[in-house]
Amino acid sequence: MLVEYSIVAGVLLGLFYALMAMGLNLVFGVQRIINLAHGDMVMLGGFGAWELYYGYHLNPVVAIVVMIPITVAVGFGLYYLLIPRLKSAVDFETLSLVLFFGVSQVVEALAALGFGNNERSLPVSSIPSHPVNFLGQPYPADWWVAAGVALPLLAIFFLYLYRTRLGRETRAVMADEHEAVSVGIDAARVSAISFGVGLALAAAAGVLAVFVFGGVDPSEGVGITITAFAIIVFGSLGSPLGTVVGSILFGVAYQLAQVYTPSWSNLVPYVLVIGTMLLRPQGLFGRRTRIA
Amino acid sequence: MKIRKFLSAALSVTALGALAAACGSSSSSSSSSTTSSAPSSITIGTAYSGSGAFATSSVPELNGLKLWMSLENAKGGVYVGAYKKRIPLKLIAYNDQSSAQTAGVQYNQLITQNKVNILVADFGSVLTAPAVSIAQAHHQLLFDQSGTGIPFFTPGNPYIVLCNLPESSIWPTPLAQYMISKKITKVAIVYGTNDFDASQAETVQAKLKAAGITPVFYQGIPTSTTSYGTILTSIAATHPQAVLELGYQPNDTAFLQALQSSGLHFPMVFTVFPGQLFSLFQQQVGNAGLQYTYTYATNFFHNYTSVNEGLNSAQFLATLKKQYPSSVNTLGLLGYNTGLVVEAALKNATSLSQLALRNALTKVSGNLNTVDGNFKINSEGAQIGELLPVAQILPSGSTTKIGIVYPSSAANATAVYPAPGA
Repeated sequence: MLVEYSIVAGVLLGLFYALMAMGLNLVFGVQRIINLAHGDMVMLGGFGAWELYYGYHLNPVVAIVVMIPITVAVGFGLYYLLIPRLKSAVDFETLSLVLFFGVSQVVEALAALGFGNNERSLPVSSIPSHPVNFLGQPYPADWWVAAGVALPLLAIFFLYLYRTRLGRETRAVMADEHEAVSVGIDAARVSAISFGVGLALAAAAGVLAVFVFGGVDPSEGVGITITAFAIIVFGSLGSPLGTVVGSILFGVAYQLAQVYTPSWSNLVPYVLVIGTMLLRPQGLFGRRTRIA
Repeated sequence: MKIRKFLSAALSVTALGALAAACGSSSSSSSSSTTSSAPSSITIGTAYSGSGAFATSSVPELNGLKLWMSLENAKGGVYVGAYKKRIPLKLIAYNDQSSAQTAGVQYNQLITQNKVNILVADFGSVLTAPAVSIAQAHHQLLFDQSGTGIPFFTPGNPYIVLCNLPESSIWPTPLAQYMISKKITKVAIVYGTNDFDASQAETVQAKLKAAGITPVFYQGIPTSTTSYGTILTSIAATHPQAVLELGYQPNDTAFLQALQSSGLHFPMVFTVFPGQLFSLFQQQVGNAGLQYTYTYATNFFHNYTSVNEGLNSAQFLATLKKQYPSSVNTLGLLGYNTGLVVEAALKNATSLSQLALRNALTKVSGNLNTVDGNFKINSEGAQIGELLPVAQILPSGSTTKIGIVYPSSAANATAVYPAPGA
């Protein structure tokens, strides 16, 4: 019974993790940047939902719809502010780590100043809250809401990536930026939009994270970045499908660990990274690394 | 020759007289130097969590300490018995961002670089733990605010004193007694794997086992856990009559939220922090999610009208509300009371040496009555003067209130057991 429960819970939460990690993978795939401030963007999404709920009585799910275009625009601007200067550096990838580590620290500090240090949460009743029975067992409603919101958002993201002109251009840049430029693709514009989309995915996940994690606080970013990074390494850096599959497997592994070895459950992300590095460095979908 | 002997003797007498005079003046100048060598300020050094998991508890605790400092400085400083005068207080507080590693570096810096007179630990056992060995190594007395983990207090270490709250092993004594009195035999315990929570879990388990009760679920989880859905399902599978979740505030919040959205109901649910940060829990979990939850009642809920140091309960609440309205909770009280213990040490110590401060506290132990109750420590520096009664959060109109339900000598409400809906 507990095994079944853990698997279902793992799949539900895995879809949420996929939404949380996808933006990090997209930004890495397009720009070869590990955005160490990714978790902080998730955190800002949570605070955004809190402000919209208490300031404008906006349902958190609706808040996601409001936040997506705003965060795409912010990401677009942020890209032009940060990345072009960075790209002129000799060791671009390493320097990006340093830069985004700094961004992460600044965002955390500003969030603490702006929102205070206390963890904030949204009332359980702000989303459907009645437990959902499935296969004879009750599951918290917020898990279904998280999965139910993450799934269509991921589907839209895949449609964008595989069925639109901009998505094809994005994948071309992911495959080889120089070749993409040589066939007339505006790589900078594509990268800027991807950066915005990555941020939007993070912010959307941040709204759901308020319920899944029980609240939002300014310091949660680092832990979220580590979990998201573990997932994309496990699923293969640069592979969106790998992120989805990796997230679900991560979710199931984490839930099983909570049932059978709760004391060790927080080691799951680190074991995944180390295990992947030692056994299959290219990740689950390794052959498609950096090719969407 | 006789004249030479006479002159020599006269010279010797004169020299002795001069020496005696010199000694006298030395003695008097020494006396005056005792007064003049009094420090211009008493420096208090502490670490606090301005952000991170412990910020909700650490910041009010720091504010309570600052309140005490501001009240003393308004009188011209704290009274230092060794110099028989008031000396202004100065605070050096470093933000450890809830990181024990960072706190460890900062404690070191406070002792070795800032050379503080008084070292105060950050909130809780996790952030106090690094200070214990550092303070001992540097022979600096650690004023432990709320780090109640059992391992901190050892026979060979005089450099620690627990200012508030009982040692963790004492906390759950009334709780275990309450469950036994209610004939609860199926108990589930989930606890954070840190000194504070693990100490309590071990104590509850031992006391229950002594009464012939073996917990049906006994599991440690990482302190950083915020996902409790699956754990709750594991617990429910054991059909417990009582579920004890022993964690820090973020754990308790996440646990109670997960419980609320899981649809599970247990006859008794206990968590540690709602009694310490009640208004915060009302905001985060909501009254519906808190109803009938058990918690520890602290001295914050007790009205002390008569004290022999500092403000009484009514005065304290009014002053704290005025200066730090966001810190009107148990942690604010603990920070303020830490200041009162520091005050007692400085007032009664014969010098500013760390052992003199410690000896002074041994001397006042049992006789210091403050807004946090009776301060009493054992030979290892652990607080034994307080017992934490069992409280239950009960409906009160459209909101909730904390009622003390056990022991009966302290009770002001009747427990609702089993909780409705279980």
